Amino acid sequence: MANWGMVIDLDKCVGCQACSLACKAENNVPHGTPYEHDRHHDMYWHKVIAAHEGEYPAVNTQIIPMPCMHCSSPPCVNVCPSKATFKRGDGIVVQNFRRCLGCRYCIVACPYGARNFNFKDQQDEEYQRPDLPPDLAAEVGGLKYGAEIGPWPYPHRTRGVVEKCTYCFHRIDEALLRIENGADIKIGVDVVPACVEACPTEARFFGDLDDPESTVSRLLASRTYIKLREDMLTNPKTIYLPR
Amino acid sequence: MQLDFAAIKGDSRNYKILVGVLAAVVIAGLAAYGVAYMYGFRLWGVNNYVTWGQLITVDFFFIGLSAGSLVVSSLVYVFGQERYKPIGRIAVLMGLLLMISAMLTVLTDLGRPEKFWRLFMYFYLSNMKSMFGINGIFYAGYILLLGTYLVAALSGSKLTKFIAPVAVLWAMLVHMGTGAIVGFIETRHVMYSPLKPIEFISAAFASGLALVMLLSYLTLKFSKRPLDKDMFVSLGKFLVVLILVLMVLVAVDKLTHFYPPKREAVMFLISGPWAWIFWLQVVLGYFIPLAILCNPWLRKKVNWVIAACAICVVGIFFERAAIIFPGLSQPLEYYPGEIAGIWGARGGFLIMPAETLQTLGIVAVLGLVFVLGLKYMDLLPAPAAAEHAEGEASEQATPAAEGGQA
Amino acid sequence: MNETAADKPNSPEPKRSNGFKISRRAFLGVSGAAAAVLAVVLALKRPKFGPDQGFETQETNGLARDENGLPAEVLIPTSCLNCPTRCAVRVRRVETTLGKTKVVRIFGNPASTYSDGRCCSRSHVGLQVLYNAGRFSMPLRRRADVEKGRAVSYENDFEEIGWDEALQEVAGHIQGTTPDRLLILEGLNTTSNEDLIHQFALACGTPNLFKEEGLETDADRRGKMLADGLGNSGYELVSEDGTSAKYIISFSSGIVESERPLARNLRLWGKMRRELPNRTKVVSFDPRHSVTASRADEWHPINPGSEGALAMAIAHVIIAEGLYDADFIANHAEGFEAFRTVALAHQFSPESVSEACGVDAETITKVAREFAQARPAVAWSGEAATGWAYGTFASHAIYCLNALAGSIDVPGGIVYQQYPPYAPMPALPVSQTGITYYDMDQAAGGMATAIGFNSNLIMSVPESGEGAKWDQRLKDLYYVHVGPARSEMAAYADIILPTCTYLEDWGYESAIPGSGYAEARIKQPVIDPRDESRPPARVIFDIATLLGQAAAFVPPSSGVTGDSQSFPEQFAAYRTSPFIAWDDFKRVGVWKGGAYSYRSYAFGNFRFHSEGLERVRNVDLPREEAPYGLELAIYRPVLEIRGGSQNFPWAQEMYLVMHGRGWKNLVELNRETAHRLGIGEGDEVIVESAFGEIEGEAAVIEGMRPGVVAIATGQGHFASGEFADDIGCNPMEVMGTEYDEESGQPTLFSTRVGIRKA
Repeated sequence: MANWGMVIDLDKCVGCQACSLACKAENNVPHGTPYEHDRHHDMYWHKVIAAHEGEYPAVNTQIIPMPCMHCSSPPCVNVCPSKATFKRGDGIVVQNFRRCLGCRYCIVACPYGARNFNFKDQQDEEYQRPDLPPDLAAEVGGLKYGAEIGPWPYPHRTRGVVEKCTYCFHRIDEALLRIENGADIKIGVDVVPACVEACPTEARFFGDLDDPESTVSRLLASRTYIKLREDMLTNPKTIYLPR
Repeated sequence: MQLDFAAIKGDSRNYKILVGVLAAVVIAGLAAYGVAYMYGFRLWGVNNYVTWGQLITVDFFFIGLSAGSLVVSSLVYVFGQERYKPIGRIAVLMGLLLMISAMLTVLTDLGRPEKFWRLFMYFYLSNMKSMFGINGIFYAGYILLLGTYLVAALSGSKLTKFIAPVAVLWAMLVHMGTGAIVGFIETRHVMYSPLKPIEFISAAFASGLALVMLLSYLTLKFSKRPLDKDMFVSLGKFLVVLILVLMVLVAVDKLTHFYPPKREAVMFLISGPWAWIFWLQVVLGYFIPLAILCNPWLRKKVNWVIAACAICVVGIFFERAAIIFPGLSQPLEYYPGEIAGIWGARGGFLIMPAETLQTLGIVAVLGLVFVLGLKYMDLLPAPAAAEHAEGEASEQATPAAEGGQA
Repeated sequence: MNETAADKPNSPEPKRSNGFKISRRAFLGVSGAAAAVLAVVLALKRPKFGPDQGFETQETNGLARDENGLPAEVLIPTSCLNCPTRCAVRVRRVETTLGKTKVVRIFGNPASTYSDGRCCSRSHVGLQVLYNAGRFSMPLRRRADVEKGRAVSYENDFEEIGWDEALQEVAGHIQGTTPDRLLILEGLNTTSNEDLIHQFALACGTPNLFKEEGLETDADRRGKMLADGLGNSGYELVSEDGTSAKYIISFSSGIVESERPLARNLRLWGKMRRELPNRTKVVSFDPRHSVTASRADEWHPINPGSEGALAMAIAHVIIAEGLYDADFIANHAEGFEAFRTVALAHQFSPESVSEACGVDAETITKVAREFAQARPAVAWSGEAATGWAYGTFASHAIYCLNALAGSIDVPGGIVYQQYPPYAPMPALPVSQTGITYYDMDQAAGGMATAIGFNSNLIMSVPESGEGAKWDQRLKDLYYVHVGPARSEMAAYADIILPTCTYLEDWGYESAIPGSGYAEARIKQPVIDPRDESRPPARVIFDIATLLGQAAAFVPPSSGVTGDSQSFPEQFAAYRTSPFIAWDDFKRVGVWKGGAYSYRSYAFGNFRFHSEGLERVRNVDLPREEAPYGLELAIYRPVLEIRGGSQNFPWAQEMYLVMHGRGWKNLVELNRETAHRLGIGEGDEVIVESAFGEIEGEAAVIEGMRPGVVAIATGQGHFASGEFADDIGCNPMEVMGTEYDEESGQPTLFSTRVGIRKA
């Protein structure tokens, strides 16, 4: 089984935030409002942070894109009471919205702030817009589906649950399905998460960390790499190549 | 000494007003929750940084108080100390009510409250690595146990001899589990400590005892039941010991984290924007009660002792808040340096009306059931003969107040 | 009375509850019932699947699916228009089971090698441009006696009218206006619409066609044209065979945040820095620690406006030490001797210039030597370097460095953009149109009618605040706004003609300078135009028809039938017909021209222009004591969507990445400067100049030269929509008017301001 990981080259990243925007579009992540921004209610599955050091004129700025780290030892998985978040066999830490109680213990436990609580329904005023992905309050096969089902792609998620980046596992699963049906595609090359695909400088890479021939493995072998908050021993699988 | 217990009549106007006010607050709280349920938690003060707010603070507080109440009950039912019997039943009832109220706060704090049963129904099928999951088992068993305990105590059954020790020990397990919820989280340095479970139970004992003393004193006084002032004074001495133990634990915990080099968490707690909570905890929870209860003159005066208890309870509330708010507000250090803007900002918390009203509503539920319980259950020691006469005299003097018979 | 307790009628015998004695039976009964309920609930609610399951992706997500169970979707190639780069993109459109069509994703197009198939962050915001709630659905006419501008209320101040009536009125006004009093404003439009607007201006016979892009680029372009007369030069950075620039000097240039062609810059940045054998060294001279400065290998803070002088100092070193490309100078340049004299003058020595620009002489010398010897080396002038009264000469000085380093028309250096060979437009009696900002500014008072095509003028020019010059002028003009959505210019309109957004439009785009080789990209609708909005091409054609000028737009035997509705597609198909079949173009989305041939020097000789060059030495230093002693430097963050509106929450909520803030722009100061002025982080401050004042939130940072205040553009809207209005401030409103005489561009960087706490 694969062990999916992501490598982000901070030397190439220019902080354009195409990754954050592609994530918003791909996963129908709701946008906020100025009020929500001040209240820290808005939702970001992917964020780009800037860390400043130094005094004028010796100023050092690190720009660091942060999806979910998909840790190998995820603290969030430890603390979720209903097993709504769990680590899949292929290493992706997934959120099952059906099970999520909204207790927010995982937000308390996550060292990377990767998780956000969904404070409002996507059926609220500003979400009733045609740019929303397909309407999931849909009738399919005679059954009316409520908002909490959360299937992919473009899940329409209920409020009151916790959300986070998923390494676009819907793309991976769909690719696995196609590969099973004989398609000649490779995950990590032809199929990657939306943020990796969108990066204009090609600073992001995705692949199987357990495969010594994958791009990510080769990159990690060729340069120094850093993991954020390594002292937490979460062993994140989103790994950075410093400048 | 065979002690008789009797319910109160509950006819007086004051009583009815009390019930009415509490009921009104409960309804207001219910309405506030209904609104929050419809519009989402954006009506609350919680956000993605300080993600637990008033409700979880009250939850921790109440679970602690519940465990602490059982301490008093253990004096009666475990150690057979007859002199504390008058307040034994109140302690058991409070234990149960506080626990149920705490569960109400947890339930209403969930983002998807209709799934609350997952915490309790799955037992070992829940995530047993999660303290919430383990506590689900503890809490569920605890409530059942307390229910049995209360029934046994009210019917004066001999079973209390067996149930009480189990309940008290289970109470300690429950609250240490609660402490572990925060204590085991390495991400939040303010919370992270192996001492947290013990600190929690110690705070529970102190605040629980204080609350039982406070409530039982007030109840006995206002219902004109026999009040043994010396009992309270002696409990006050016991409280000193409990507060001292708690102080030592807190001091050791903070000093450990204060030792260089890594001390940002403690500095954030004691000198950051939330420092006022910590200092209220220390002053109201420890210093002032100790000052009163160690003072050779004041500690013999029941009113002062009870005042110390009230202040201690408030202080311990701030202790719970000091874990939640600064704990969650401290910015996470994703990377060395100053992280710009919202990502590096500390969490804030607004006191929002919906959340506050709901919290007050749940406290009012507790109060309401307690007050009604006084009327429908034999919780209080029966009025003594001397008080009969007193009661008579006052009845004759104010016949209308008692329902107007002469 | 001697009564016993039992005798008294209302004996105070304590009321006893039933003592809570529960019979064993009752207890067992209740417990049993509870247990049974529990068991039933557990049985019903037990997990029916392991945690790994439960993601039914096939039948429950509302996407229509084909026979293989894969979502019914299509990827349509078109191009972006959120900035002048116009990258090729592919847009994903899905059908839902309820019969709705939705546009859900935007990707790059690998068929375009211009940016290696990449598009930048702005392109994703196209979804919100398309579905902007502020879009117009019908033509609108302003009611009489309603005030224009900031007081606008779109709901109340306009009435909906039909297209025919609207077009008649517009045509009527144009006919009633003499050509010299007709002003045509061109904001950001597709290349095909630009060609049509140009033709329209010619057909109307007016010389007053103003391209708003010139507000930022005219001086820079003029400076380069002084050398090669062409105006189509670009920085190739990496040639197709992998030859890269080895050294880049950014003169206040936001290479990876605002300089066009942005997506190409970004992709090649990644390539140059990490993917090619020799890593490109980047040195940034910039008053701000911009994103580019933070990514560069060296950042040297300079005084604003000293870029030209700095360039001359570098030229001084290169010439003095003989490090220039002698072969190029000898064979492909002229005017070098005069230039040499000017450059070697003392006032351009590193020691002298270092006082003016704030970089020490050793650094200037070092950079000059490295630059000249790391070939090809590129000197990149940014908008901030050329927005000055001597901006043309600053641009020229910087451009000359490329010549000195032998980077002209070589792989990885400066290349001259080729354009697709479009089929010709019908010839017209008038063949010239186009005015500079200076001309327009002088003449605007005399204009009667203006028509703006996606114009964003009022947000982009100095003296644009309430009651200021441009506010007044637009109120006096009869203004027709041709654009898709609510915007500040629409707030001044007498008639609004709603166009469709770029994702619903037909057309073609030419790649702007950068690649050298030509590239054309299609514009085709990914979805039908919303409501009654129409492609701009059709609007132009209809007005022209009413003016009797339809023939100007119907080339003979072109396939353009003259039918209004089919005009946009037919026109684009005709224009691109010489080089690609329309069906192929629609299928692939991109046409690539032949390989670029270097060293062809189509311009003849590179002219070193010396006259007036010494003006770059007149650097205006910050004056701390003066009431307006600070230098205002604007910058354009990458998420400023250049289409005029900013009503896009995705762009707004992560607007300033270096500050970690959204829904804002900030008044950015150096810590020392702030301390001196008594301003703290987060304070509300007023930025004032001799021309106006604005209010904003202060940010106190290290990455700023003292004496400089920087404000990002793109905010300060008042009529675009709920996600843009009343957010931040527009720095243009405090700017005064000064011109770069050579190009007529307004100097957007020469205004001085003061700051005080609000």
